[in-house]
Amino acid sequence: MDALSAFFTVFTDLKLLSLVALGTFAGVYIGAIPGLSVTMAVSILISFTFSWDVHPAIALMIGIFMGGVYGGSRTAILLNIPGAPSAIATAMDGYPMAQRGEAGTAIGITTVMSFFGGFIGIIVLALAAPSVSQFALTFQPRDYMLLAILGILLVGSLSGESLVKGIFSGAFGILIGMVGMDPLTFTGRFTYDLPLMQSGISFIAVMIGMFGVSEALAQLHHLDTPAIKQKITRIVPSFGTIKKYLPLSLQTSTIGVIIGALPGTGGDIAALMAYDHAKRVTRKPSRPFGKGAIEGLVAPETANNAAVGGAFIPMMTLGIPGDAVTAIMIGALFIHGLNPGPMLMVEQPDMFWFIVGSLVVANFFMLIFGLTGIKLFTKVVEMPRAVLIPMIMLLSIVGAYATNNSITDVYWMLAFGVLGYFMRSYGYPLGPVILGVILSRLLDDNWRRAIISEREDLGRFFHGIVTSPLSLILFLAVIFIFFSQTPLWTRLKARLLPARNEEAR
Amino acid sequence: MSPTDHDTEALQDEVTDLHEHARDTRRPGEAGFTILLLLASLFLLWSAYDISGFEALSAPGTLPMVTTLIMCITGGLIMLRTIKLPLISGETFGQNILPLALVIMAVLLVCYGLLLKPLGFLPTSMLFLTISIKLLWRQGWVKTLGVSFLVLVIIYVVFRIIFTVLMPSGIFPEAEMLQFFRNLIGGGA
Repeated sequence: MDALSAFFTVFTDLKLLSLVALGTFAGVYIGAIPGLSVTMAVSILISFTFSWDVHPAIALMIGIFMGGVYGGSRTAILLNIPGAPSAIATAMDGYPMAQRGEAGTAIGITTVMSFFGGFIGIIVLALAAPSVSQFALTFQPRDYMLLAILGILLVGSLSGESLVKGIFSGAFGILIGMVGMDPLTFTGRFTYDLPLMQSGISFIAVMIGMFGVSEALAQLHHLDTPAIKQKITRIVPSFGTIKKYLPLSLQTSTIGVIIGALPGTGGDIAALMAYDHAKRVTRKPSRPFGKGAIEGLVAPETANNAAVGGAFIPMMTLGIPGDAVTAIMIGALFIHGLNPGPMLMVEQPDMFWFIVGSLVVANFFMLIFGLTGIKLFTKVVEMPRAVLIPMIMLLSIVGAYATNNSITDVYWMLAFGVLGYFMRSYGYPLGPVILGVILSRLLDDNWRRAIISEREDLGRFFHGIVTSPLSLILFLAVIFIFFSQTPLWTRLKARLLPARNEEAR
Repeated sequence: MSPTDHDTEALQDEVTDLHEHARDTRRPGEAGFTILLLLASLFLLWSAYDISGFEALSAPGTLPMVTTLIMCITGGLIMLRTIKLPLISGETFGQNILPLALVIMAVLLVCYGLLLKPLGFLPTSMLFLTISIKLLWRQGWVKTLGVSFLVLVIIYVVFRIIFTVLMPSGIFPEAEMLQFFRNLIGGGA
């Protein structure tokens, strides 16, 4: 019963309701404007909502998250520029539709299907999270440690050029998280006897630098991307159209939830896999794929919105984020004194149901804003980057300053912005850095807890891993990811799958 | 260049974060960057050893040592791989990695940080927006000043008034200005 009332908190509180609406509205536009990303928006917003109560802050950020995932699809359809990575697959068939003058239809279907996918994701989250967190209560410290490593490794291996670069980024992130006084023994770590290093590096500064300033700097290379004007016709799709694609959307939503729930994979991968799936199962597409097939829109859009609910499962129950965006959401929960993990469901189940409720509301608002306001939208998207970039930079500075009212944080932010720019330019993924920063504490604590409980004996530690099925699976998964990057594996694969290798070439 | 070329370029930039395969050429400055990262990692490894040495497995310095060791190994691998690659043709450091506009923007950002406290948020931001928008957009002064002012007003209203973020007021009589507007609204009602 408590769960139900917590779930309906957002529905009954006008202030919260309008915050979710505002967040979703902003999210749709942020996601849509090339050069602005949800990751950027949420990391800057964390600092602004720092002094707020938990409920309004979370309501606003969930709105942005939900709206942002959807928003990327609009620019993908209208301009062939995905506003977010999760909309890359949407551009493949959405833009050809717009070229035929069917932009309105494409946007309408995308919106309704995003709503549908988002809903399935939330239902799965509500049903699965309580039992997953029950299961997670049985986890040993070493399991948490392995899960954290696995999450960073997966994000590292799926983004960027190579796993080696991903691992480097992840380790670097963990290191940033360790700077400061060690909470257990109060020994300084990487402080170099400087007072300003003792409290550590604000992870908000790192986040804003890596995703705000570095992105803005990278955008300087695309200053003169011209805006393409589109005429938009009918938007709300007919019921018949929706019914026709219902079976496919159910399948692709399922893909979305599962991919979203895996650590290290988010909406972008989910969308691409769903697109691939649709291509395989659709015998007679409305048009060939890549030339404006509606199936090619339905699949990625249901999947990337379903992945939102999926991604919240490991985030809320284990405290392990799936990708950079959820890592930042975890950061937001931390800042507001919540501790995502199995204990959250035990100690503050109402918080969980509040978040589920907010997601549902955000999903409805997404549908409303998605089907309206196209005129305004085309104006906003035409905003020149030459104005947008200085604006992002200014917001990043204000954001970095606002959390602690300290100019030091601004310098940290700028330093990480410049470093992030170079890392980006040379193919180092930035997602693992943020994941590393967020998971650093969890990794450190659990490693020490695990090794102390084994009386500082590495042999006993490994014995523990081998004898527990869960630890063993996690450990093998970590080993496998490493092994899959070695030349030995490449040779083995070439021998076992010669045909596929040919195809890849 | 046709608009479609631009679009593909931007699209590819977006994909960069997702599925980039190992390149067979290196970008200008990349070799130097990998060497720098390796040197930094080695220095950090030494600092990590300095925390508590090989005292115990649960000591505060153990995980930092492991982490920095991983950074050294991967950093070394990346460096070895990178320096072997041939330099990509058609790209120069000054054009594709660090063009002048980027350097200027970075300098402007640092200047912003330096001026924020003494000058205050509103004047510094106005200065920053005007200079950077003028530089990047290359439009007339009236348009530049107008847009900068508009952007500043939006940011100020949203963040100072809605989010109540306090920024240094510096030389600008911000409190008086707010009071003036409050009186205006109060008087009008």
